Amino acid sequence: MTAMPGPRRRTGSSVPQPALYGALALTALFAGWWLATAIPGVVSPRVLPSPLDVVARFFFLAIEPFSGSTLEGHAIASLTRWLIGVLAALGLGIPIGVLLAWLPPCRAAITPIFELLRYIPPFAWVPIAVLWLGATTATQALIVFIAAFPACVINTQLGVSQVEPILLRAAKTLGAGPWTTLRRVVLPVAAPSIFTGVRIAFGNGWMALVGAELVVGKQGLGFLISQGQINDSVATIFVGMMAIGALGAAIDALLQRAQRVILPWKTASVRPLE
Amino acid sequence: MTTSDPSAQARATPKMEARGISKTFHTRAGDIVALDRCDLAIGQRDFVTVVGPSGCGKSTLMMIAAGLDAPSTGEILVDGRPAGPAGPQRTVVFQRFALFPSETVAENIAFGLRVAGIDRAERDRRVDEQLAFMRLAQFRDAYPHELSGGMQQRVAIARALVVRPEILLMDEPFGALDAQTRTVLQEEVSRLAREMNYTVMFITHSVEEAVYLGDRVVVMSARPGRIKRDLAVPRDAAWRGLEIEEASNHADFIDIKREIWELIRTEIVRQ
Repeated sequence: MTAMPGPRRRTGSSVPQPALYGALALTALFAGWWLATAIPGVVSPRVLPSPLDVVARFFFLAIEPFSGSTLEGHAIASLTRWLIGVLAALGLGIPIGVLLAWLPPCRAAITPIFELLRYIPPFAWVPIAVLWLGATTATQALIVFIAAFPACVINTQLGVSQVEPILLRAAKTLGAGPWTTLRRVVLPVAAPSIFTGVRIAFGNGWMALVGAELVVGKQGLGFLISQGQINDSVATIFVGMMAIGALGAAIDALLQRAQRVILPWKTASVRPLE
Repeated sequence: MTTSDPSAQARATPKMEARGISKTFHTRAGDIVALDRCDLAIGQRDFVTVVGPSGCGKSTLMMIAAGLDAPSTGEILVDGRPAGPAGPQRTVVFQRFALFPSETVAENIAFGLRVAGIDRAERDRRVDEQLAFMRLAQFRDAYPHELSGGMQQRVAIARALVVRPEILLMDEPFGALDAQTRTVLQEEVSRLAREMNYTVMFITHSVEEAVYLGDRVVVMSARPGRIKRDLAVPRDAAWRGLEIEEASNHADFIDIKREIWELIRTEIVRQ
């Protein structure tokens, strides 16, 4: 028998290879971009601004309001709507997923409706959402909700239905009622699948939001890039697009980090001990 | 070696009693009678092993005894009263461990205590006691998937014992383990049975295991499962306390084992 292992260590102390390659590729991309714009006559700055122009535009937008808000203002507007939409999707989607997995009649009743609605793209809801709610935060949040909801439901249902029946029996013989079993056995065991659903939902919600902002509203990163187009400012469009990409990636990175905290048993060492 | 009526002392006030248990499964191919009027009384502190050819319904009998499955006819009594739904009065050790993967060893063991609302200090004390008893102390904070099969089954046994069940039900608990680990755990459970005097119903398909562990060996018939024979194995047999390897070389041990094996062989042939 060996002693308990410590937390999993990275292999060696050198920089992990994937990170190195990633950094190299990014550097190459920016170098190519810069070269293409630095050599006169290759690309027009109206088609592709130089990286330096984009950086300058970034600082300008961060300080000076453009189309009503600074860059931060647009980003916060987008994040707020997104958060409302995805939280509503989680709050409703996870319990419904559990119900669908646990109660066959419930599943039989809801599944056809759900399957029908699922194939209406979030974007197709924009006109009706505007009619119902006007050009408000609620409209945007509703589009986010519609984009995020199915992933929450489907992955929760999948995770819950994959919990081994023997675990439920074990909980029962130890005196656990349905509520305790749900909280201490079913949800933790289904959590990795639920978490995958949440990640997909967050991503889908973010993408749908930016799309909705292109056509509705007076604030937000999607609105910012559409204003860049109207004002013929390619650099603004670039700043907006990069902000959308960076925030989306940051959200996912945060979620992955959260997973390690919330699901320690999924990331613990997989080496058998004896 | 075997007494004429081994369940005599159990008859007074059986700890647990299966009365006329039958179980029929309805399938598309027709009805399958898994159990046919099984009667079995388990006395206080009896260690009863149940053997039988595979498919004889012994696991079904245990699930019914645990309250996890309903009999088609008959009833389970504990202390002479209907046993009711599954609960910590009858805990189960399953063949496939059934540990909660998201909880550490200590949390798994404490599960039943927390459900019962036992306060933290008492819980910790009893979990520590079980960890020491099952030689798991150093794995306290490990997760099940970090443990070998043998270690996982020790955790499952500790989890079932810590709630102090009236009767411990074990469903082929060593069936999924390799031969060496199985031997070690058989000896451990034998030690546990002698030291703690638990009332145990233990399902197995190994005749050797049944004889080594049981005070009584119940032999079941091939499907439909019936109780075919109920043999006592004296607690004071000369080989008690020996390691299984040595014990199984004892003449007395070999005699009982042969007797049981003959019963099972006829059942398999009959099938």
